[in-house]
Amino acid sequence: MGEPQLQSETVNRVQINPLRKKRNKSYSKLMKNKLAVCGGIFVVLLVVLAVFAPLLAPFDPTKQNYGQILKPPSATHWFGTDTLGRDLLSRIIFGAQVSLKAGLISVGIALTIGIPLGMISGYFRGFWDEFIIMRVTDAMLAFPSLVLALTLAAVLGPSLNHAMIAIGLVFTPYFIRLARGEVLAQREREYVSAARASGLRNFSIMMRHVFPNILGPLIVQATLNVASAIIAEASLSYLGLGTQPPTPSWGAMLAEGQGYISQAPWISIFPGLFIFLAVISINVFGDGIHDWLDPKLK
Amino acid sequence: MKARLKGFMFLGVILLLVIASGCGGNKGNTSSSTTTNQSTNQLVIGLDNDPPQLDPQKSSAAVDRQVFQSIYNTLVDIDVNGKIVPELATSWKITNGGKVYTFNLRKDVKFQDGTPFNAKAVKFNFDRELDPKSASPRLSEIGSISKVTVLSPYQVQVTLKQPFSPLLSILTDRAGMMLSPTAVKKEGANFSNHPVGTGPYKFVERVKQDHITVKAFKGYWGKKPKIQTIVYHPYADGNVRLTNLTSGNVDLVNTIDYKDIDRVKKNPNLKVDEKDAIGFQGIVLNVHQAPLNNVKIRQAINLAIDRESIAKVIFHNYVTPATSPLPVSSWAHDSSLKQTTADTAAAKKLVQESGLKNVHFTLKIPAGSAQNQQLGQMVQSMLKKVGINVKLEMVEFGTMIQQGTEHNFDAINLGWSGRMDPDGTIYSWFITKGGNNDMGYSNANVDKWLNQARTVSSKQERTQLYHKISQQLWKDAPYISIYYPNDYKAMKKSVQGFQHYPDTMIRPETISLK
Amino acid sequence: MLLYIARRFFLMIVILFLVSIMVFGLINIIPGDPASLMLGQEATPQALASLRQNLGLNDPLYLQYIHWVGGVLQGNLGYSLSDHTPVLNILLSKIPVTLELTIFAFLLAVLIAVPAGIISAVHKGSVWDYVTTVFALSGVSIPAFWLGILLIYLLSLTLGWLPPSGYVAFAQNPVRNIILMIMPSIALGIRLSAQLTRMLRSSLLEVMQSDYIRTGYAKGLLEKAVVFKHALRNAMLPVLTVAGLELSSFLGGAVITETIFAVPGLGQLIVNAILTRDFPVVQGAILFMAFAVVIVNFLVDIAYSLLDPRISLGGASK
Repeated sequence: MGEPQLQSETVNRVQINPLRKKRNKSYSKLMKNKLAVCGGIFVVLLVVLAVFAPLLAPFDPTKQNYGQILKPPSATHWFGTDTLGRDLLSRIIFGAQVSLKAGLISVGIALTIGIPLGMISGYFRGFWDEFIIMRVTDAMLAFPSLVLALTLAAVLGPSLNHAMIAIGLVFTPYFIRLARGEVLAQREREYVSAARASGLRNFSIMMRHVFPNILGPLIVQATLNVASAIIAEASLSYLGLGTQPPTPSWGAMLAEGQGYISQAPWISIFPGLFIFLAVISINVFGDGIHDWLDPKLK
Repeated sequence: MKARLKGFMFLGVILLLVIASGCGGNKGNTSSSTTTNQSTNQLVIGLDNDPPQLDPQKSSAAVDRQVFQSIYNTLVDIDVNGKIVPELATSWKITNGGKVYTFNLRKDVKFQDGTPFNAKAVKFNFDRELDPKSASPRLSEIGSISKVTVLSPYQVQVTLKQPFSPLLSILTDRAGMMLSPTAVKKEGANFSNHPVGTGPYKFVERVKQDHITVKAFKGYWGKKPKIQTIVYHPYADGNVRLTNLTSGNVDLVNTIDYKDIDRVKKNPNLKVDEKDAIGFQGIVLNVHQAPLNNVKIRQAINLAIDRESIAKVIFHNYVTPATSPLPVSSWAHDSSLKQTTADTAAAKKLVQESGLKNVHFTLKIPAGSAQNQQLGQMVQSMLKKVGINVKLEMVEFGTMIQQGTEHNFDAINLGWSGRMDPDGTIYSWFITKGGNNDMGYSNANVDKWLNQARTVSSKQERTQLYHKISQQLWKDAPYISIYYPNDYKAMKKSVQGFQHYPDTMIRPETISLK
Repeated sequence: MLLYIARRFFLMIVILFLVSIMVFGLINIIPGDPASLMLGQEATPQALASLRQNLGLNDPLYLQYIHWVGGVLQGNLGYSLSDHTPVLNILLSKIPVTLELTIFAFLLAVLIAVPAGIISAVHKGSVWDYVTTVFALSGVSIPAFWLGILLIYLLSLTLGWLPPSGYVAFAQNPVRNIILMIMPSIALGIRLSAQLTRMLRSSLLEVMQSDYIRTGYAKGLLEKAVVFKHALRNAMLPVLTVAGLELSSFLGGAVITETIFAVPGLGQLIVNAILTRDFPVVQGAILFMAFAVVIVNFLVDIAYSLLDPRISLGGASK
């Protein structure tokens, strides 16, 4: 991993580092749009795979066939079979469920905890902001995110649910920081003072006025983090601390295939390809949303 | 101009950090001047793990012993056929109905630090292992010793609480290894990092997770070793170990993955040496936990598992399907137990007879092993066919052992490296409240037979007892034996004189390089 | 200025304190009893009890924490549960390995990113620009473990150019050490190189629009010279700064890379220690990583604020 951190930090620093405020405005807009559309299409495809997996998969993903172990790709088994004779294509299709679930739920956890804390921190400032929330955030960000997720997953015990919680917690500080930064920028705006003058309560101001205005960057960050979470889940499963067998997870499949790389490379190559495709399309898609939301780039 | 200055400043910061974090750090690397060349005076051995301990009396990992064999000697040893032969003890007498062992010791032996080896040293070692304060894992093996007496400078007497026929066999393992009393007193807990024994090789240095080097000991009492230096490298990953063997960095590896055996056999520069296993692998069932407290369900599991398929698919037929915990190579093995394929119909019937509905349990598997994961998934799918649902859970090995001891599980995938004597292989597993009896199994007959087999000395009588035990265990099925993990050592063709001992330990003093 | 540094320093101490509490807290709720782990399958209950006592595992948590922090401050990170080696010694033997990997990966990233960034910025809209864009996009999305496996498959097993994995100390055999480091460095460095390429391209484009570059044109300097002498120099600063701040993700990336390629560095140490419940080693290694990140960030901040007047010193957060 490390990846999720990179992405999140990049987005964060866009808000913070004056040197990097204007990004890539000279990208050929046409190409970017095309890429974003392609990414979007693949994201949709992925969702379709995950939702309709039982209908689309040619075989039962856990069905073992001892006469058909380690078979290369063929007309029956498009992606070949694995060490226990299971159909790899079917496992990859079902693996999309795990990856999407991991991506969405862990980012959901990070959003649910991160946004309220970040908004409160940024809106009220003061002791809690300065000495507790922000410093704890700093401390959490000091750990390489994979190392932190790994330790948390070990603490909680290996399972997909625990991996999602671990990843969600590790991503939370990024949302705290982002939400706080955005609120800081908004709270000095005229509409906030106006709302305050009209006697609205802080809570209402935050929910009704501030929140809609900071939603854009949060959506972009969340989208990009879904990609990071998919890699994170795959990494934990690769190290044995994520999804447990026989549930097919792309990361775990890859780890299983690694020992057979010389005899049966397809076992590790195909799951990895799908992680890559999923991540790149979500990234491109997220960039597309970013550009679309950012009026400066139009 | 300013920009350049900033750049330099930044690089300066980075450099400072590099220095700060690296300071003193290369200590570990520069001290190792070992080279991995093809010198005929150096043997490079690849191990499947970094030995946690170099103190035999603290060791609880079998891989430690691979290194111990060069540094230490035992009182008695085994030959390639598993027969007990003299080592530091030239002869011994068993008297008083098997309760007193008197050992006559070699007189020409010195420890590598110059300390003379004698009866006092033997007593010192036994006392250290037997002291509950040293928390030695050996205690469970030699706990039957009540006292050790020095009769003369080269004669020592070991007295037992009750007769215990496996004792000699146990003394061929770590419990019988002799450590230098001087070094133990001097180093204390640090002895593990500066081990001293009487063996053919002397400890030189160790860099954790990288290598352990030993050098031929000039004052060795026995036949002088042919190779001057041995370097042990740990390669936990089977692929890495194999790569280092094929690329020539390593001369001999203590084990290879079963899936790679065919490849090694085809390689013109390598050879494989095979020896039957002394241990067993399978599934521990908690007999106090529903639904596994129902003997019919346990019997159904026993019948539902197709051991032949497991051996074929996962182990490429390089293991032997198992029906009891006593392996085929053991004289105590009962070959009348033959059910190595599944009898799905019979198993289904047993599940029905149990009267239980929705039978399910959780099987814990050690994390990080592809083979165990595959085994778990195969067992899961085989049991599903007879109407038993298995949930798999990966657990880190240490945690799994702990949960096993606390009986905090339904089923765990755990085996045993085995011992030369069948008693050491099964006693602690199946005796009521035994140290390895995670099943919580208790059968008065099995207890009686196990204890009888310890005290009688006739091999024929013992064999009969062990057959009875094996058959009872098959019926009660507290432990599902699945396979005997045969031992494979792979080496370069140039490695000469390697002798494959049944305890799977490499004794390097006979090896030479062509 | 001094006030700013003092304030940042104070904050750093607070963060380090919180980091130490987190590390300690995390490790102490990891399930698994180190005593039964050390004694293995053959332990007796008495032996377990006495070992727990010796290891101080029976003390209340706050006492264990105080002991631990007290030790850390004196450079004593405790002892490995598996063989009683001081954790500090283990760390010191692993750090150079990870450091070497990090440096190689960093150099590789810069070696790819600088030419790629320049070419795509100078020839904006060309095929090269397109290729670079695709590279940058793929580079940030490719999972390190898959890239590692692909590299092993292509470069080792198919082409036979490089050994698939393993490690030899530099002092032992420098040539082999570097050969073995090639693939891990690619696997670890490619992501940063993609990111740097992207950043370098955009900051170059930005700088080239600025006044002083236009002056360069007016003076009649050649385009190439303009790019190299002025633009690049100015574009490198933010690039380098970000690269420095990526230390944290590099350390995280090392975990995966070192696992795949069997490189015995900090990353592999952490994974092994977590899997074997060697608490003191996990504690020491994580603590070291977090401290390194916090301190590097502090120094970079200070250096930056000293050098760049555009950063306001009174700012509440960086």
